[in-house]
Amino acid sequence: MDASSSSSQSLTFYDFLDRMRNPASLDLVRSIKSFIVSFSFSTANPENDGKRLQDFLLTMEASIRDHPLWDGASEEEIDSAIEGLEKYVMTKLFARTFASSHEDAKIDQEISEKIHLLQHFLKPEHLDIPEVFHNEASWLLAEKELQKINAFKAPREKLLCILSCCRVINNLLLNASMSENRVPGADDFLPVLIFVTIKANPPQLHSNLKFIQLFRRQEKLVSEAAYYFTNLVSAKTFICDLDAKSLSIDETEFEENMKRAKLAITGARMGPPRALHETAALVNPLARMCDKATQNELSPILDEIVGLASQSDPGPSQGMEGSETNISGGLPYPFMEAEAGELTIEDVEKLLGIYKDVVKKSSNGRMKNDYKFMTLGGCCYPFTETEAGELSQLTIEDVV
Amino acid sequence: MGCSSSVPSKSSGLPGGLNSDNGGMVDAKNLRVKLVLLGDSGVGKSCIVLRFVRGQFDPTSKVTVGASFLSQTVALQDSTTVKFEIWDTAGQERYAALAPLYYRGAAVAVVVYDITSPESFTKAQYWVKELQKHGSPDIVMALVGNKADLQEKREVTVQDGIDYAEKNGMFFIETSAKTADNVNQLFEEIAKRLPRPSPS
Repeated sequence: MDASSSSSQSLTFYDFLDRMRNPASLDLVRSIKSFIVSFSFSTANPENDGKRLQDFLLTMEASIRDHPLWDGASEEEIDSAIEGLEKYVMTKLFARTFASSHEDAKIDQEISEKIHLLQHFLKPEHLDIPEVFHNEASWLLAEKELQKINAFKAPREKLLCILSCCRVINNLLLNASMSENRVPGADDFLPVLIFVTIKANPPQLHSNLKFIQLFRRQEKLVSEAAYYFTNLVSAKTFICDLDAKSLSIDETEFEENMKRAKLAITGARMGPPRALHETAALVNPLARMCDKATQNELSPILDEIVGLASQSDPGPSQGMEGSETNISGGLPYPFMEAEAGELTIEDVEKLLGIYKDVVKKSSNGRMKNDYKFMTLGGCCYPFTETEAGELSQLTIEDVV
Repeated sequence: MGCSSSVPSKSSGLPGGLNSDNGGMVDAKNLRVKLVLLGDSGVGKSCIVLRFVRGQFDPTSKVTVGASFLSQTVALQDSTTVKFEIWDTAGQERYAALAPLYYRGAAVAVVVYDITSPESFTKAQYWVKELQKHGSPDIVMALVGNKADLQEKREVTVQDGIDYAEKNGMFFIETSAKTADNVNQLFEEIAKRLPRPSPS
């Protein structure tokens, strides 16, 4: 799987921004800007939007191939320019294109709630996962990779989260099989992926899959990447349609378990506050509100923080940590893994501090110029002058 | 729940041509081919593929070994190459409804059964009918009776396999992933049957 290129890819995004700053690329910058503007003004229509983006990337690829700045460039350089372009454009258009319809948000919610119920009782035996593949540590690692999916906005990086998850599962299957002298295949892989997906309950699963399908460069969503992507689509479909007959479980037992899980959740909702945190994401009304906010309007703030602080790819966790220390010189960014729904009012002050810090750093260093380009689409840092004392006036949407 | 169709079909509204789903050919001399493996769980689908991938001795070929996705390039006599991208599918009954997600856009389908298991042969026939109804119209199909080394336990005759394949315009072969018998022949034969882009 395409992981070896991770570190080099984060460099090439800078390289892309660098070239875009070159006066010679003014014509390209104009095309990009005008695409983003015209896209932002038209009404959302996912399928059509996907086609528009794909067409635009193809057109730009042709322009870049003919462009003096890329004169004599290798295929690889052209390719990373288009990767940079995809990342740039989709980061700009994220709020407009991700989970943009009410229907998508509703499906996300339904899947997440169903998984939440299943988590209460589902065991590997229900999917006939052989004992030899029971490995809590590997499963947890795979879950973590999948849960990172919302830390990224670029389709390529979201896809890499899925591939990393699948790679962990593959390694588990291959290692466990070695001692058993058996050959693992899809018969073993898919059940484990489904189980891991249920354990992970990845945020906005449906919207993330749809987003990747529509906006990842079509020539990149092929071969191995397409295969593992299809497996997660498959896992999602299985979970959506799942009933007692899908599992090795007695039908009445299944119904009773589902009923009990529902009761446990509603019980927690009514119950004493200490029970709340266990199911916070599902029951806490604030969390729900925030979830909605994430779906509808994605923040410029987190956007920029994520954009600047994590230019590196998802995937191997060391990569993520590496990029944090890289930019901050050791200062941690505690919210990198946070979901909007998990934030409390108390976090706002800390978040604002980090945010200012990131902006300051970016204005001092070489990123100053990137920032200039990043603002090309009209986005800026609206809160740098805000004092923590004014926080009471900030709405929760500002945080999100 | 209404979410099974939430991901739009890949071919809808997306630019065709470039690495299209249909076999994804690169150029006339170097084909890239999506091959989907179907068959009951336990018939040895992944064993056949592993045999094929490990059995090639070209040290220059890049081999991707996953648990369920593998790719392997074969060089043919006419100096063309075919890169097989092999998509394994879960054969358990509970995943049968998911198969269309995998065989969509496949240029080749290899349907495998176990010669010692009549149930797996029935299942293979189910897959063939599925593919005829919902697969690409020009898909190349192969019917494979695996575990040919277990002659003493055979329950599906060679003739049954031949007859069924012939009736359905498929290529038929019996293999043994265990002894590697006929495994390379299977993929070479498929490579020969692929529709070629006419040289321009």
